[in-house]
Amino acid sequence: MRGDRDRERTFLLITIPVVALFVCFNTLPLIKGFIYSFTNFKGYGSYEWVGLRNYIDLFSDARVGKSYWFTFKYALLGTILTNVISLIIAMGLNSKIKGKSVLRGIYFVPNVLGGLVVGYIFSFIFTYVLPVVGQSLGIEALSGSMLSSVSKAWIAIVIVGCWQAIAMNTIIYISGLQTVPEDIYEAGAIDGVTGWRKFKDLTFPLIIPFFGINMVLSMKNFLMVFDQIMALTKGGPSQSTESISYLIYNNGMSGGQFGFQSANAFLFFVVIVVISVVQMTVMNKKEEQL
Amino acid sequence: MKLKWKTVGSIFLTGVMLSTAMLSGCGSTDTTASGKTVIEIVQYKPEAVKAFETLEEKFNATHDDIQLVIDSPNDAMTILKTRFVREDYPDIIGIGGDINYSNFLDAEMLMDISDYEGLADIKESYLTIDKQLEFIPLDGVYAVPYMANAAGVLYNKDIFDKNGWKIPETLDEFYKLCEEIQSKGIQPLYFGFRDTWTCLAPWNAIAVDVADPNICAQVNAGLATFTEAYRPVAEITKSLLKYAQPDTFAYSYNDACTAFARGESAMYVIGSYAVPQIKSVNPDINIDSFVFPGSNHKEENVLNSGNDLQWSVMAGNENKKEAIYEVLNFLYEDENIQTYLDDQSAVPCKKGDFELPSMLDGMKPYIENDKMADYQDHHYPAEMSVDAMIQTLLVDESDTAVDTFLQRFDTEWARYNRDLIAKVQKFYEEHPEKLTEGGN
Repeated sequence: MRGDRDRERTFLLITIPVVALFVCFNTLPLIKGFIYSFTNFKGYGSYEWVGLRNYIDLFSDARVGKSYWFTFKYALLGTILTNVISLIIAMGLNSKIKGKSVLRGIYFVPNVLGGLVVGYIFSFIFTYVLPVVGQSLGIEALSGSMLSSVSKAWIAIVIVGCWQAIAMNTIIYISGLQTVPEDIYEAGAIDGVTGWRKFKDLTFPLIIPFFGINMVLSMKNFLMVFDQIMALTKGGPSQSTESISYLIYNNGMSGGQFGFQSANAFLFFVVIVVISVVQMTVMNKKEEQL
Repeated sequence: MKLKWKTVGSIFLTGVMLSTAMLSGCGSTDTTASGKTVIEIVQYKPEAVKAFETLEEKFNATHDDIQLVIDSPNDAMTILKTRFVREDYPDIIGIGGDINYSNFLDAEMLMDISDYEGLADIKESYLTIDKQLEFIPLDGVYAVPYMANAAGVLYNKDIFDKNGWKIPETLDEFYKLCEEIQSKGIQPLYFGFRDTWTCLAPWNAIAVDVADPNICAQVNAGLATFTEAYRPVAEITKSLLKYAQPDTFAYSYNDACTAFARGESAMYVIGSYAVPQIKSVNPDINIDSFVFPGSNHKEENVLNSGNDLQWSVMAGNENKKEAIYEVLNFLYEDENIQTYLDDQSAVPCKKGDFELPSMLDGMKPYIENDKMADYQDHHYPAEMSVDAMIQTLLVDESDTAVDTFLQRFDTEWARYNRDLIAKVQKFYEEHPEKLTEGGN
């Protein structure tokens, strides 16, 4: 009995400081932001209560609407591309090939690099390298900078975002693939299962939990896109690549819309929670147990 | 048993205290241990940190009773705003004469310093510029302009001299010159429009020539619309694109500075603040500048110049007033102003004979005759992102681009300034006599 209670206390001792810090740096700011969302606070000076005006404005503001549209199409395309490509890479890196660990290391590098650094390097590539390549190959679509075109700039950001996100997802998929026991493939081989069917009916159902984690993580990360935008386009051209986080930061901090953007941030928080919960429940239903 | 719960409690408390300590940071002290009055300045130009370090040292070496501390942090505006949220104020702030100044003034955070004697030495037009930045006309003076910058057209003097080109004085002459340059196979203009803020450089330079300098206040008071006032500005700004490099929106400010420094273009429509960067790429470049001729009537063209750095005293500093004025007097001593000028290419706001940087030669007559008007964007709220709107105007290739832009300008202005417009109009309802004084 005593031992049990001591154990409990130890766990409490470990948990409480963490909870305290979490409350201080996460929950309190969230509540404070929620309170500010009912004011016309500029970030300093005096302010007035405006009731639900900020929330009503959110739904009539074309710029906010555009930023949600951009962020969602970006996140959707980004999540799909990242998961498909990283699953393929993970399968390659999980097979018996030479220099596997070196390759795994190299494929992980993009994740270690800071978003801004990657952004600036790609910005150079998009502005100076790619147009030259496009011109010499005679490809019309590539002969101008992708970043300066209203219709193509978001794709450039998707490319950079994916390039960076694939690293982490690949690692998670590799660890997932390693949990699949070899004897299942042996049993499958006896039944004559090969190629695509082997992947579809054996490998994939068994790594669904990892697929689920990856979907939730990358969706969330893509929805919060910020660094890439800061380094590549600063929301341009013509405000076509303003993500929600970028708009919140830009207009809430350097602009005087602290109250309004607090409302935006709160709405965004709710949206992300809803998406994550939906994703988790859908994925949990599909999970296969051995 | 009890002891352990105490440990839990104390760990929790320590956590909370630590985080509150971190949040509150360090407060400023008014006096040192030796009884000196401490005056803290936060100024927002990190590039001038060297000049201010020299001045700080010089001041402290000559003053026994006052200790001067000058901070020149990066992104000072964010730092200042964060400190204001915590009610931790420096004594003097050195900021630009822009919308932030208007907002601080509106939030009643600055002290009236109309009794400061040094004001008599400041050029009239810079004091007027500050007056026009007040949302609601106030009595008193709340800022002393220190340095101004000027925007217009920078040109490569060597290229101009070689071809015998003359400085254009009207808009038509400017267009003709651009075509002449183009016919010689040289790029007339280079822009870095990927960085949206650079779209404001030509916009501002043209707006001072062809739009009412008081237009924003007029609109707030309900006396004018941007659709009317900004049509020529929008049209002229858009017309410059045909003289710019292809795929203009692919290049950033850095790219444009580099290209101009390497002689890839003959002219560059930007402010004097770009000169240090251009010189860092090519120290030997021979740059001069001229005022953008936005109008076809020579006499209508004025220099686009605004308060780049000005000093404001935070409210509640009445007891330290003497020490603060002493610091200001020191900063305005001629040789100290020259220290700053030698370091930065700027225009002093103080009257007198200073050695101006040579790339301002072409603008000198305007500076000497006090023929200047403020950057229009100093009146725009940052969150409205007028720079991005101008970029949209420039990117838009349809025939209705200008109309779409102007209409959007008026609607967004009304939306982003809703509280302010209500406040201003209420003020004029109560004080109709101020309206006749010209909106400001």
